Amino acid sequence: MNSKERVLAVLNHQKPDRMPCFTANSTVTYDQMEKVGAYWPEGHDQAEPMAKQAMAAYTILGFDVVRAPFDQMTEAEALGAKVKSGGEKGIPGAAEPPVYTIDDIPPKELPADYLSRARIPELLKAITIMKKELGDEVLIEAGIIGPFSIAAYLLGVTKTLKASLKAPDKLLPFLEISEKAGTALAHALIDAGADIIANEDMTASPDIIMPKSYHDLVYQFQAKQFEEINVPTILHICGDVGSIIEWEGKSGPDILSLEPATDLKLAREIVGPKPIFMGGADAAKVLFMKTPDEVKAACREQVEAGIQILAPGCAVAPGTPTENLIAMVEVAKSYTS
Amino acid sequence: MKFLSDFSNIFKRYDLDTEVKKQEARKISDDPVLDAIGKFVVEGEAEDIEAPVKKALETKAPMDVINDGLVKGMNEVSRLWDEGVYFLPQVILAADAMNAGIALCEAKMGKAMDRKGKVVTHTAEGDIHDIGQVIANALLNAGGFEVINLGCDCPVDTVVATVKAEKPIMVTGTALMTTTMTAFPKICHQLEAAGIVIPFISGGGAVAEEWSTSFPLSIWGKEDGWSCGLAEDALAGMGWEDMRSKWNG
Repeated sequence: MNSKERVLAVLNHQKPDRMPCFTANSTVTYDQMEKVGAYWPEGHDQAEPMAKQAMAAYTILGFDVVRAPFDQMTEAEALGAKVKSGGEKGIPGAAEPPVYTIDDIPPKELPADYLSRARIPELLKAITIMKKELGDEVLIEAGIIGPFSIAAYLLGVTKTLKASLKAPDKLLPFLEISEKAGTALAHALIDAGADIIANEDMTASPDIIMPKSYHDLVYQFQAKQFEEINVPTILHICGDVGSIIEWEGKSGPDILSLEPATDLKLAREIVGPKPIFMGGADAAKVLFMKTPDEVKAACREQVEAGIQILAPGCAVAPGTPTENLIAMVEVAKSYTS
Repeated sequence: MKFLSDFSNIFKRYDLDTEVKKQEARKISDDPVLDAIGKFVVEGEAEDIEAPVKKALETKAPMDVINDGLVKGMNEVSRLWDEGVYFLPQVILAADAMNAGIALCEAKMGKAMDRKGKVVTHTAEGDIHDIGQVIANALLNAGGFEVINLGCDCPVDTVVATVKAEKPIMVTGTALMTTTMTAFPKICHQLEAAGIVIPFISGGGAVAEEWSTSFPLSIWGKEDGWSCGLAEDALAGMGWEDMRSKWNG
């Protein structure tokens, strides 16, 4: 099987020749940038270097899917949030002050030119390049940001957290427009060539908000979003998601991307057989810090516990050694059917 | 070995009904006004807390209102957080309520309350995830330390210049992203080069023990709950090497 056939087999709940290895999050490292001759900050806002960096996951590491973009600001920036460049070493992030206060009411509909705003056109071009270059061999994954995380960029994280407890109703219009922003971007990415849509909703983690807030505020918007996206989907929420995984599963993604902090056996009991579990070594504490042998041991432990697609637990830290990422692919190759 | 005799909290984090029931917060004080103050800290009511604080100040010394009402309330919040009953939003709101109360007490005193020592806190340059720092600030504040809050996305040079100017007993850095934590060794090396040898606490989601203890001055701050303990050691004059052996493995 080639990578594309392998991943399609897993998505269709059939047996692949071996376990696939890919991720819901960014795969770019400084070392890969050197190897493909494409760098940051250009990789965040120009289609050619973005595509080159994304494709390195397949050509350099041997991952089974390639994925863009690498930061979490695409939709928020197009909705008016100020962005601060991460320079050569980092990813673009939110700049202070946030564009809205909790007492503002955001627009009900997306601006007519939403898809031609900020960095969206270059991202769409990058996806088309990736599809043209590698589309016969690998599936193309594109990332959108979940509604709660976009809302937190529009309002500021701390303000959003306070509102989740004291004024949840005031958050609803922000969640509505944020859901529309992610869904509209997903449709454009699919038109540009994306085969899989990954939804990162970092700020909805129980490490940050109450599980009850996930249930009351986030779940309905994620469910609506997955309902409207007609390609395979991944939901990634950081941390130990044991307390919300029932609702993550019910929101309807094909794949749940989980960090090692989550108890996989308990998670499987809660969500039932359908969602495919993606995960593996901790991105910061193991992949970035440890040796290839330790990476392999951590990955095997997660596979034995129920992981079906091997992946870094979260976004790959850009300083991660290439040999550690290749070690993860080697573990995936060792699980043949 | 510690045996678990009460299983009631075990599944708390797996339960969607995490609203804190009234009886879960312990009584703060036998004095009804101080108890009300503590309760509003626990419930994170920055507006409602003003009336009982003003009432308490009619008969009590401002420092007693702070220590016996506001700080006790924050200690209760700290306990609820440690036990997994409280999540970040509750802690942030409780800190707001406590700070609102302290401001009223300080206005009555006509000066800022006496503090044990200064602690400079910051979140790494490029990182806007200052949630860990917000909690550390609140706990240090409740513990009687003067917090010099440099906020999020704070450049290395600002941290170094502030330490030179303010002469704190300790510095903390928070980083949630693996791309931003590299600022910490830079700060520590610059402080050392300037002859300033004070404990630097490296904390936040991206920061691992092995890395935190790989450069001078740094001690790994595993969790926010350690903040006051670390600051007390620094205040007592313990050096960073001794603090590292005490707190880190």
